[in-house]
Amino acid sequence: MDRWKQYGSFLGLVVAFTGIGLWGFTATGGALPYGKRFAKTVQRGVQDGGGPLVDVGRGVVIAGPIRQGGLVLEWVALVALLSAVGIGLYVYVDRTRIGGGGSR
Amino acid sequence: MAHIHLGEGSFPLWALALWTALGIGLIALVTYRIRKKGVDPSRIALAGIAAAASFAVFQLNVPVWGGIHMNFTALVGILAGPLLGTIIALVVNVFSAALGHGAIGLLGANTLVNATEVIGAYYGFRWLRSADWDTFPAAASGATAGLAAGAILMAVIIVVSGVNNSALPRTDLAIAVAGMAGLNFGVAVIEGLLTGFIVRFLAAIRPDLIGDEAESKRTDATGVNA
Repeated sequence: MDRWKQYGSFLGLVVAFTGIGLWGFTATGGALPYGKRFAKTVQRGVQDGGGPLVDVGRGVVIAGPIRQGGLVLEWVALVALLSAVGIGLYVYVDRTRIGGGGSR
Repeated sequence: MAHIHLGEGSFPLWALALWTALGIGLIALVTYRIRKKGVDPSRIALAGIAAAASFAVFQLNVPVWGGIHMNFTALVGILAGPLLGTIIALVVNVFSAALGHGAIGLLGANTLVNATEVIGAYYGFRWLRSADWDTFPAAASGATAGLAAGAILMAVIIVVSGVNNSALPRTDLAIAVAGMAGLNFGVAVIEGLLTGFIVRFLAAIRPDLIGDEAESKRTDATGVNA
């Protein structure tokens, strides 16, 4: 397929979904963290709101229930465990595979 | 990044039973298919890494659209496939609920939502690749569409179930939840773009990881392969 058609279709998807996202953002209270937005929306309904779409000052934070519940260490440990198991399995499979190639 | 962020007791008991039964049914079907067809060991290893990445990013709130988290479920679907991807969706939801992020009673519903993202992204990507699309637009479009499908299912589950202690009649609840699904469409664009870049990168250096035969032939021909 022509490349311009592929990227044109994708651009159309991006524009349409971003527009719907903007409507959803304002209709559900504006700049609110997802958990609070969810609770307020299903309890009180549609409430217009604004605020910045990107709030760099807020930074990337760990989800509220984990942060406030003091479970950050457990989260890090679980991520480390899953990563170690995954990487370990991958290395094992890669070394023991006949031919060492990468077929599916 | 659709995920039902409601506490325990938010859904009536019949709804909990229904979504849990459907979730168990889906997992049983997937397990049966895996046992019947078997699975490539390298895919299992890749699924382990994908589960770690998905679980890690699931708990990180990024300051976009008011504060959202991503799932990487679309990426998981494209890399691990629909069967292992569905198992990963369950695992990530179980661990998340254990840490208080998502209700344990909603595990069935949330697994259905995330499995829809996994399956939608996988088949969207494969279908677009078979239509001779480049890797990036195919992965980004497939991921965006899969994530949007998950958002729609999330909205349907909430509206069908109803929410305990909500002051809203069903029609108002439907409008409110449509707003939530709409927001998720915007988030799907961001996660879709990110997924597209990651899959494009992986396809360039290790096309075997995404099982992309067309890309393998292309990289073999040009010699650009790690």
